[in-house]
Amino acid sequence: MSEAPKRDIPPAFSPEDMARRRRRSVALALVLAGLVIFFFVVTLVKTGPAIMNRPL
Amino acid sequence: MSAAFDRFVSRTDGAISSTGEARDFFALLKPRVMFLVVVTALGGMATAPGTIHPVIGLASLLAIAVGAGASGCLNMWYDADIDALMVRTAKRPIPAGRILPSEALAFGLTLSVGSVIVLGLVANLLSAAMLAFTIFFYAVVYSMWLKRSTPQNIVIGGAAGAFPPMIGEAVVTGDFGLHSIVLFAIIFLWTPPHFWALALVKSGDYARAGIPMLPNVAGPAATRRQIVAYSLVMAPVAVLPALMGFGGLAYLIVSVVTGLAMIALSFRVLRVTEGEAAHKAAYALFGFSILYLFLLFAVLLAENSLGLMWALPKVLG
Repeated sequence: MSEAPKRDIPPAFSPEDMARRRRRSVALALVLAGLVIFFFVVTLVKTGPAIMNRPL
Repeated sequence: MSAAFDRFVSRTDGAISSTGEARDFFALLKPRVMFLVVVTALGGMATAPGTIHPVIGLASLLAIAVGAGASGCLNMWYDADIDALMVRTAKRPIPAGRILPSEALAFGLTLSVGSVIVLGLVANLLSAAMLAFTIFFYAVVYSMWLKRSTPQNIVIGGAAGAFPPMIGEAVVTGDFGLHSIVLFAIIFLWTPPHFWALALVKSGDYARAGIPMLPNVAGPAATRRQIVAYSLVMAPVAVLPALMGFGGLAYLIVSVVTGLAMIALSFRVLRVTEGEAAHKAAYALFGFSILYLFLLFAVLLAENSLGLMWALPKVLG
């Protein structure tokens, strides 16, 4: 039976590295929130306020 | 390969995720190039014969900027090996080891696809197709093929940087006409003197990386002559918007004065060929060329969208 290929073990992150990754995650969250607002506004402009005017 | 390249490989080999920050990812988008793309695309939108809702215009501009940034990111991903060898580019996020090549590739592809889809939904299919072609042209035709194979790399590749005004006009009208073709020609003719001025100063860098820039292949003297030739053609073409009626008096004055300055600086590059003075002359042309392009499009924008147009009699077009 053949041996499973050895996988590279990623180097451990230092607290400073983790802080950098956290800042990156926060930035990504802000970009995603910005995209939500962007698509909302563009949809309103493209379709007009009538998009809200429909039976529930 | 060099020690710099070995260090680049050892820093990134085996890792599955980097500790790069948001600003490193932003740097992958080549923000200064993105700024010029925004200005030139805005110029195309402002001079287009038509109107657009400001929100749709802004959203389209954002998509064009992100698309341009995505192509810059893919360029940095592909060129990471040679960037590591050049002093000017060794501190970029990938060769410096702050971002993994795989992360840059994923980032660039995601933004490319996203920006094209968004532009197609927000504006129209033609502008989205043109943005997709621009990204393909810069990332594949220029970066992967021309850059390492011909001294005409930046001449042909310059088309990628010249497309944004055409995309801008397509956003507004769903088509493109003579106005944006003239703006395309200005940027296309501007690219060789701009890049070759830098290549004259950085020829050692390019030689180390094995990139066949014109100064390394044809020599500095031939490059200087080509810079003058392109500047002599570019400066009159840059006056055309005023003669065709979509640039006013302010544009006429700015394009003539700064065009003459570009020609004068090109001749200085041709004349001053030795030592530090030659480097300074080339740097002066490189720096001024950025200001030149910015001014041309900023004035066009101000005249066409802020009501500052002092119209001239239409001579051409």
